Amino acid sequence: MRVIANHQLCQGHARCEDLCPEVFATDAVEGKVVIVMDEIPAALEDKVRLAVRNCPEGALRVTRKAAAGDDAGRGEEPQ
Amino acid sequence: MTLRFQPSPPDHVPAERMVDFDMFHIPPGVTDPAEIWHDLVRRGVPEIFYTPRNGGHWVFLRYEDIVEAYRDYSIFSTYQTPVPPIEPYPVVQPQGVDPPEHNVFRKLLAPMFTPIAVRGMMGELERRATILIEPLANRGECDFITDYAERYPTGMFLYLFGLPEERLDEFLALANTFFRSTDPDARARNITEIYAELDRLFRDKQRNPGDDIASRIVAARDEAGQPHAWEDILNCGFLLFVAGLDTVTNTMAYVWRYLATNPAAQRHFRERLDDPDAFLRAIEELMRINAVSNLFRRVTHDCTYKGVQLRRNDRVVLPNTVANRDPRVFKDPQVIDLDREVNVHVTFGVGPHRCIGSMLAKREVMVSLQQWLRRIPEFTLAEQQPEGAVFGGAVMGFTALRLHWETAARAAA
Repeated sequence: MRVIANHQLCQGHARCEDLCPEVFATDAVEGKVVIVMDEIPAALEDKVRLAVRNCPEGALRVTRKAAAGDDAGRGEEPQ
Repeated sequence: MTLRFQPSPPDHVPAERMVDFDMFHIPPGVTDPAEIWHDLVRRGVPEIFYTPRNGGHWVFLRYEDIVEAYRDYSIFSTYQTPVPPIEPYPVVQPQGVDPPEHNVFRKLLAPMFTPIAVRGMMGELERRATILIEPLANRGECDFITDYAERYPTGMFLYLFGLPEERLDEFLALANTFFRSTDPDARARNITEIYAELDRLFRDKQRNPGDDIASRIVAARDEAGQPHAWEDILNCGFLLFVAGLDTVTNTMAYVWRYLATNPAAQRHFRERLDDPDAFLRAIEELMRINAVSNLFRRVTHDCTYKGVQLRRNDRVVLPNTVANRDPRVFKDPQVIDLDREVNVHVTFGVGPHRCIGSMLAKREVMVSLQQWLRRIPEFTLAEQQPEGAVFGGAVMGFTALRLHWETAARAAA
């Protein structure tokens, strides 16, 4: 599982960082989300989904591991 | 940009969308000012309606519409929005400016309020909470507003702006007149005084810069390497002064009032003093249920929104407290669930003007509650509460909140 952030939508609420600091951080300039992990370990998947569902801007989404040649954004999980 | 206010004759408002609603008037006997908003929902008024009160304005009641209004600045501008209308009104920076111009001051302020920046303030937040709470513990009672909720964020403002602690009462008086006075002359004088203070402050920080927000604002340069216009600097200081004090004071008042009447909720927090994740989750729920701000927007052009005809310069009021209890978004919205897992409340707004101080505000509430619960046993509302100590408007809240608890001395007597 991977998680993707839309930085146009992100307004820096940092709810994701509060809920799952293992995967989400925020930058020092604008306070926007930084995803610090490419591949989400199975043990963190539930926490990441919860963080995604708590984003007030809908700026995060979860995808299945992209197979080679897959377009970005394909294989999205229902939110 | 010139956009003079023209009162909108409500001839574009159909009769079925007219509701007589005064957001500043709290009827006698109402002890929670937010109830006047929830009462509208219970009465089943249209979810987009117009009231002729306070200069006339729309009210949106759906979460979806409130969120859209926050995001769509092509229709819903933040430029000179006061309800009732005041013109001229300062173009506060960056709140009163739409993107893209808004980005200039937003980007300037953003690094000072990121989670990283706020983590650097934690020691100071804890120190200040402790200093204020310790002397209260043995008293067994207090007026939570004057003894704590207004002193704490105002003290933090002085610290962040590099102002001396001795000036706390002076700034409290300025803030209280700004937020509570209904006398137009006193208000006009007060705004002049606040601007005079800010002018002195920024001039001083120009000569003697420090590591504070005021110094950083005044030292900042625009893209051409020039200092920002002095007027904009003052307007930015003004925003930080008015946006971060009353909101935090009244959010805390709401939270403590709720806890004082809910011993089980107090226990919930006490049992989680060493579990910051659960503590914060419970704080988020109290943020959802105690959203004190009703935000204003101004319609940029004649248009039809969701089948409703809006006219240029119409004011729109967005009550966060209503959005936060929309059953289409929140499961059992009236239930205060301190373990609520999905909580997309809009207490700090959304979109480009999302409250820049939200992280600081939340930590102010969290640290205050942690330090309070570590020093003060179960507390209740005192039997005697002053009459009519509630107010509505852009920020809703309380002018007094008397709390009571048993002290060791009293228990032994």
